[in-house]
Amino acid sequence: MSSSGGVLVVGEAAANGALRPVSWELLTAARTLADALGGAVTAVVAGVDSATAQAWASAGADRLLLADDANLAGLLTGPAAAMVQQAAAVAQPAVILAPGTTAGRDYAPVVAARLGAGLAADCTEVTAEGGQISALRPVLGGRAVSRVHVAPGQLAVATIRPGSYARATAGAASPAAEPLAVALSPDDLRVSLVATEAKGGEGSRLDSAEVVVAGGRGLKEPDKFALVEQLAATLGGAVGATRAVVDAGWRPHHEQIGQTGRTVSPKLYIAVGVSGAVQHNVGMQGSDAIVAINRDPDAPIFKLASFGIVGDLFEVLPALNAELARAKA
Amino acid sequence: MAALRPLTIAVLIKQVPDMNAARVDRASGRVVTSGQLGISSYDRYAIEAALRLKEAAGGGEIVVVALGPATVKDAISRALAMGADRGIHLETADPNEADTLAVAAALAEAIAPLNADLVLAGQTSDDYETGQVGAQVAALANLPVISNVVSIEREGDEVLVRRDMEDGYQRVRAAFPLMILASTGLDEPRVPSVKGIMGAKKKPVEVTPVTLPSAARLTWETPYVPPKTTSGIIIQDVPASEAAQQLVAWLQEQKLV
Ligand SMILES: Cc1cc2nc3c(=O)[nH]c(=O)nc-3n(C[C@H](O)[C@H](O)[C@H](O)COP(=O)(O)OP(=O)(O)OC[C@H]3O[C@@H](n4cnc5c(N)ncnc54)[C@H](O)[C@@H]3O)c2cc1C
Ligand SMILES: Nc1ncnc2c1ncn2[C@@H]1O[C@H](COP(=O)(O)O)[C@@H](O)[C@H]1O
Repeated sequence: MSSSGGVLVVGEAAANGALRPVSWELLTAARTLADALGGAVTAVVAGVDSATAQAWASAGADRLLLADDANLAGLLTGPAAAMVQQAAAVAQPAVILAPGTTAGRDYAPVVAARLGAGLAADCTEVTAEGGQISALRPVLGGRAVSRVHVAPGQLAVATIRPGSYARATAGAASPAAEPLAVALSPDDLRVSLVATEAKGGEGSRLDSAEVVVAGGRGLKEPDKFALVEQLAATLGGAVGATRAVVDAGWRPHHEQIGQTGRTVSPKLYIAVGVSGAVQHNVGMQGSDAIVAINRDPDAPIFKLASFGIVGDLFEVLPALNAELARAKA
Repeated sequence: MAALRPLTIAVLIKQVPDMNAARVDRASGRVVTSGQLGISSYDRYAIEAALRLKEAAGGGEIVVVALGPATVKDAISRALAMGADRGIHLETADPNEADTLAVAAALAEAIAPLNADLVLAGQTSDDYETGQVGAQVAALANLPVISNVVSIEREGDEVLVRRDMEDGYQRVRAAFPLMILASTGLDEPRVPSVKGIMGAKKKPVEVTPVTLPSAARLTWETPYVPPKTTSGIIIQDVPASEAAQQLVAWLQEQKLV
């Protein structure tokens, strides 16, 4: 493998049958890479109709492989890895790009292990300079980045963190959808999907809100969240929470922001009585502006803050709510 | 209910610096870790899950396996103090210098003789966060792998697990042997008791030196801190009303209100 300089890009469908935005972002990355390497872009996807697949492929792919197999529902690791591996056998790429989604981050290591390829996970950038494929990936809790270089001549597999590239736009012409019949062995089918359950809080305002006001354990008791709710209401925003207060039962799980909660990137994020633990920060550090209110000047949240107030939230929040009311009037 | 068969469970644990204590040194552009080392967060959930499965079956063996430098013995001791039965330490220099597939190959080789019913690993490590070692061990050991697991129910020789996914929770079923990647949402890891800590000293730990291949598929550059684009304003030692005024003025200036 790897002589053609081509790129294999794996799309992903959401439960509603549409392609996840990251699929379009991957095409931007794939086109740039393939152009630098002098190869073609092959796109592969499962679980969508051919019109959807072709609209996507028109945004930058030279070839489209469409898999259609009931066993690919839910993109469990076994069947998904088989699909990508077999698409790679067809495309003979130098680079495989997969989305940094739960599914992508599962099958990519399996594919890389089976093909003996170098794998860079959760990259924010993949480049090919003078044929050298390198990727940039966040490490150490998002505090730092590390560049990884794939040994020359090696197949490279990379998963791309959603939101890292602009979405490619659909073009006028699309390659034909070539059916990809995925051969599945009994080993690929050792895990079976029983059901998919909703999480609650679907369509939560948190996902689209331009302002998020998040409260943490510094609020001391659940009733004090009224201060956070008031601020969110004044700013037309949504309320978020840390895991500490969700675990304590003060707030519902669907309000949790962070590694094991939601990832938000509003225009304005206000963290009140939140220490700024790594696991919290990964869910909000993409926000355009971050305001922190905390009485501990050494709280890690201040390292992220565009504007920080070191002070007692029980004094600052009422003053802020009053000041905003005055500014509005 | 029929008695549950005791299981052999391998748990892969990585020793990492405490990331909440890590600081950014802007002058050198490096992240300075505190020197405090511990078991990576998700791996502690994996250990707890193993302990609960053992307790439910009233027996079985839990083997913790860690690859890394000499300090890793502390991570193994802690896992033994929590209740694991024995440890395997694959001693090598900094595993972060190697590519994950080399680490995974060494781990897969070490667990092969155990013929484990279940291999547990963390979803992702706290420091390098590649989230790939577990899945690669599974691929090399030809085990089915289930990631992002937030609950495990055993049903005889099968498990029914919940996975935390973008579109909701997936419930999936698989039979032993298999690999599970633990996420939070599983039971909170226990804190070792004094008795556990004392008992750990008597539990066996096998130390095997390993050399990871030098011709790596991937080479890593030392992590660096990307230049900060905006430097934050911090207001301190002023009355709350004044701080609030300054914040509102700033929000207006930034067109955020
Ligand atoms: C594997 C794993 C996954 C995790 N996932 C998540 C996640 O998704 N989301 C998440 O949030 N956490 C997560 N955590 C937990 C995380 O590590 C922290 O424990 C948590 O974020 C802390 O919440 P907090 O900031 O509310 O509480 P604390 O850390 O206790 O901070 C409270 C803050 O309030 C300040 N304060 C106290 N009183 C006042 C006052 N009167 N005025 C002003 N400030 C005050 C304090 O100075 C302190 O900084 C995870 C942990 C692990 C191990
Ligand atoms: N050096 C290691 N020794 C033992 N287990 C490891 C090691 N590195 C990674 N793992 C396991 O693989 C998981 C994922 O690690 P990572 O791929 O680094 O994110 C960890 O949570 C551990 O369970």
